[in-house]
Amino acid sequence: MSLDVEESIKQDIDLRLKDIAKCEIQRERRLKLYTGKDRVIPVLGFLKSYGFIHLAAISCVDWLDDGEFEIVYNLWSYRDKAGILVKTRISRENPEIDTAIPIYEIAETYEREIHEMFGVNFPGNPNLTSLFLEDWNGPPPMRKDFDTRKYAAEKYGMRDLTEQLKIGMDKIKGVRDGDEIL
Amino acid sequence: MGIFKKIFTPLDALKHLGQKPHTIRVPYVKKEPAKRYRGIHVNDWDKCIGCGNCARICTCQAIEMIPIDSIKVEEGKTNLRPQVDYGRCSFCGQCVDVCPTGSLKLSTEYLMTSTNKDDYIFIPPKDRDSGEGTGWESSTETSMLRFDREEMPERNPDERKLDFEPVLLGFSEQQAYLESMRCLGCGLCVDGCPTHMFIPEYIQKIRDAEYNGAVDEFFKNNPLPQICGTVCTHNCEDNCVYSRRGNPIQIRYLKGFAAEKVDNYGDVIKVDPDNKIDKKVAVIGAGPAGLTLAFYLRKYGVQVKIFESTPNAEGMMRYGIPRYRLSEKTLKKETDFILSTGAEIQYSTEIGKDIPLKNLLDEYDAVFIGVGFQQGIPMGVPGEDAIGVLQAADFLRDVAMGKKVEIGNKAIIVGGGDVAMDASRTALRLGAKSVIMYRRRWVDMPAHEEEKLEAKDEGVEIMPQTLPTEIVKDENGKVKSVKYVKTKMVDQGEGKRPKPVPIEDEIYEMECSAVIQAIGQNPDYSLFPDDIKEKLQFDKRGKRIIVDDYGETLIPGLFAGGDCVNNRGDIVGAIADARKAARGAQRGRGRASP
Amino acid sequence: MRYFEYFVGPQHVGVTGNMSYHLWADGDEIKKMITSVGYLHRGFEKLMEYREWVKNVPMVPRICVPEPDVNEVLYAMGVEELSGLVPSERAQYIRVLVLEMARLSAFLFYFAGAAGALGLYTIPQWTIGDRDYILDRFEELTGGRAYHIYTTPGGVRRDLPDGFKSRVQETMNYLKKRLIDYDRLMFENAIIVKRTKGIGIIEKDYAMNMGVTGPNLRASGIKADVRKDDHYLVYDKLDFDVPVVGDGDIFSRIMQRRLEFDESIKIIEQVLEMMPDGGFIEKLPNPIEWKVPAGDVYVKLESSKGEFGYYIVSNGEEKPYRIHVRGPSYTHGIQVAQEKIVGMRIADVAPFLFSLDVCPPDIER
Repeated sequence: MSLDVEESIKQDIDLRLKDIAKCEIQRERRLKLYTGKDRVIPVLGFLKSYGFIHLAAISCVDWLDDGEFEIVYNLWSYRDKAGILVKTRISRENPEIDTAIPIYEIAETYEREIHEMFGVNFPGNPNLTSLFLEDWNGPPPMRKDFDTRKYAAEKYGMRDLTEQLKIGMDKIKGVRDGDEIL
Repeated sequence: MGIFKKIFTPLDALKHLGQKPHTIRVPYVKKEPAKRYRGIHVNDWDKCIGCGNCARICTCQAIEMIPIDSIKVEEGKTNLRPQVDYGRCSFCGQCVDVCPTGSLKLSTEYLMTSTNKDDYIFIPPKDRDSGEGTGWESSTETSMLRFDREEMPERNPDERKLDFEPVLLGFSEQQAYLESMRCLGCGLCVDGCPTHMFIPEYIQKIRDAEYNGAVDEFFKNNPLPQICGTVCTHNCEDNCVYSRRGNPIQIRYLKGFAAEKVDNYGDVIKVDPDNKIDKKVAVIGAGPAGLTLAFYLRKYGVQVKIFESTPNAEGMMRYGIPRYRLSEKTLKKETDFILSTGAEIQYSTEIGKDIPLKNLLDEYDAVFIGVGFQQGIPMGVPGEDAIGVLQAADFLRDVAMGKKVEIGNKAIIVGGGDVAMDASRTALRLGAKSVIMYRRRWVDMPAHEEEKLEAKDEGVEIMPQTLPTEIVKDENGKVKSVKYVKTKMVDQGEGKRPKPVPIEDEIYEMECSAVIQAIGQNPDYSLFPDDIKEKLQFDKRGKRIIVDDYGETLIPGLFAGGDCVNNRGDIVGAIADARKAARGAQRGRGRASP
Repeated sequence: MRYFEYFVGPQHVGVTGNMSYHLWADGDEIKKMITSVGYLHRGFEKLMEYREWVKNVPMVPRICVPEPDVNEVLYAMGVEELSGLVPSERAQYIRVLVLEMARLSAFLFYFAGAAGALGLYTIPQWTIGDRDYILDRFEELTGGRAYHIYTTPGGVRRDLPDGFKSRVQETMNYLKKRLIDYDRLMFENAIIVKRTKGIGIIEKDYAMNMGVTGPNLRASGIKADVRKDDHYLVYDKLDFDVPVVGDGDIFSRIMQRRLEFDESIKIIEQVLEMMPDGGFIEKLPNPIEWKVPAGDVYVKLESSKGEFGYYIVSNGEEKPYRIHVRGPSYTHGIQVAQEKIVGMRIADVAPFLFSLDVCPPDIER
């Protein structure tokens, strides 16, 4: 198992992005790159011109204890057959990061989802409307401090359906027995 | 192909007209599911032990454990049975794959209709089983559980039988991790432990390599963790859910492993030796019971004085268990810690001889008797008075004390318990050949399986169904040989142990230089003056003292524990008794006093 | 300007999931479309954070209904990579077998949808019927028909049953025979050719930039396949081609799947022949309280719809810290469909959307 391709990518990245990004090889065909919040767009721009055309996904991880969100851009190069995870951290207090639409047009939907699920703001994205959730007024649900069960119990209460169902079943039974239902 | 032709190619479909359809037609035929189909749950209630692991793994939280009144609660079994909610179940079958007993199964039955919604929440019985070999069944191969244990590394039998160094080498950290990881945390093992140690809790700590935390858990109800971690009779393992179909978790060795990791218990267990309240307790015998009592009383500041007849503490742990099973280092570490908590000890003092028991009863708030069983039982065959006929208890004690014991080149050991194994292997280490004679079968031997196998591996010859009838002396009165007969097992009806009956026709003879009797031991109650002995209550055979729930005898302030109370004959039983007595001794003298 | 407004969905229109399209049309020409997803958002990513590693196994297949096995395999692959578990070679072959069988059944589903959208209702009945023969094999192997819950971290849950290989081969022979029928009925059908050629073209560069993957990307003329480029399991030992149709229109997307169908049968036949003996599972140290070492990993594979990926983050606890599922339909189901549908005729909307093979459950999770 040789890592020639990965090594050469790492060398190029280290050369061009010396001061603004740290690159490491995770395994065969997988690299990782850490960069600062303000440097993400230039870094992505360089990587796209380098050959990482395919933006597979943008993920967000909520590191509650660190008080930070980690935004992970998942890129793939069809030419080099290698993937790279570009990672950056932003503060949880004021989660904001520039949109990647100028470089990757497809970023729009991913950013929409992260905006909805984590409450991260992407200045420059024209379409930060809700994607999956309808009439949602709770906190962003994928955040670690959002408790699904607690929210459901508070919002909807625990309904006891036993009585309703019993009546329904009695009606069905009534039909079976040939009785008239009111 | 021209466009004109392409228009007509789809008309090919017409050729299927009149062919047998693939769908199921009227009259209705039930679809036969595949053999492995995951359908309705069935549970064999006889096999199920109610451990609740199915409920724990259920991702849909569809399984709840429900107590069933008609099921008897036994050791290692609860009366809980899984109840499945078919409004939630996703039929993944993980409950089956985690079931330790294999009682749970998904049958190939899939039809279930009812207008009553409560019918879909049910406690699966066995009656819808579609038969063996069908449905999603559990087997040791496909189960998520690792039924194979991590083997304890041992020294090579040929090498270890030459000296008294420990046979077990101890787990490596990786092994201890893997073995402790097998634990599911269901806690049924606790049923089997007389002192009810917090087994799942400490296994969890061992898994996380928090050995100090584990030691803290041990000392809640066992102050001799490393000794128990090496030579305990491990009833807990018999109740482990893994033992139903595979090897139980080696709870004993895990405990020993963690205890060994902590060099000084004093760092973890804080007992102030100078804290002394106005209460005094005398302990007779520094065996496991005496030491345990001393520790728990010292924890509360009670002043404790131990009277020991030999020049060493530890009692049977030192004199009954050979050093190759329990090393000097382990013994010293544990007793030294208990004595360091401020318990006083007076060696080489025999109560009843050097000091009368009455003095102690007058002087102390409470007196605890933990003297154990010291005297071997003779076989009762002709020629027992020959030179070279020994009692196993005496033999082991003398060897442990470092005395020179002459057994010549071939010893015959009579008996089939752990003591017989110890005696035979000790004889082997003294340079003799060892033969064990036991009147019942191999499976009936009360010794632990691993002891038997270890003895066999080392080259002890085990002769089951053999009964010595006479010991032959030579002209100097020394033992020369043993005459013996073979026995046959006679069935005594259901539920009873088969009885060995000697086949008298043929009498065999075996040469030997020593005979070691290991058929049981009796207590020595000569320390009791007659008036006290009269007041005490003994069991039917007159061997064991009857005590109440607090370890107190009929005489107020006189407590007892260990072998002279329980019939387990092991260390952990003695520890359990001593804990009871510790509670009683704190409460004060006599049942009437609060 | 005033437009007609059309609402498509959210109930099943054909065989995709629950998803609706809001269309604005000027006469017969579509001017604008907004996809509305959210009907199938079940919050699996959040639910997985609440459950222990093994307990997620029965849940992941529900992320993609027509082809659930990719989720099981991906989840297992990700957990294995994080923990350093290596499944036996036999288990890897079994996984490939399961994946390719799932691909075939998903393609049959696709043919049904694509033909149904054009109003040809014989084909859906045939392909759905034939898909059931694959489900029968799944039932034999895994005990379940739709959701198999078969692949688990460490390997697969059961070994192949007796005589399974020969029955799979029989099913493959049957499918090969049926493909001749399909060809005549569907792929050479003048109606289909006429209705789909040159319509709904997704250009090569556009597809690449918009993150379109899988058969849709290959139909646009790019030879890229995760099975070859980022080979996983034992795909590097198997001999198969990556067909590229290349026109990028609806017809080429349908034909692309037809050609890949042959390759999958080829792979299954090789797997049946090459599968070694050995164990089928490497058991976990503990089923419930097992902790996966901290770290993060992105695993992906080629599903019938494109690149399916799992980004798994562990912080060394009994439960995953975060799992992000990259569904293949995410890109072509929302943005690409919205942009490319503009200018199309109303009658072409359904064939176009079906040709993309959008699977809403994997968009929304």
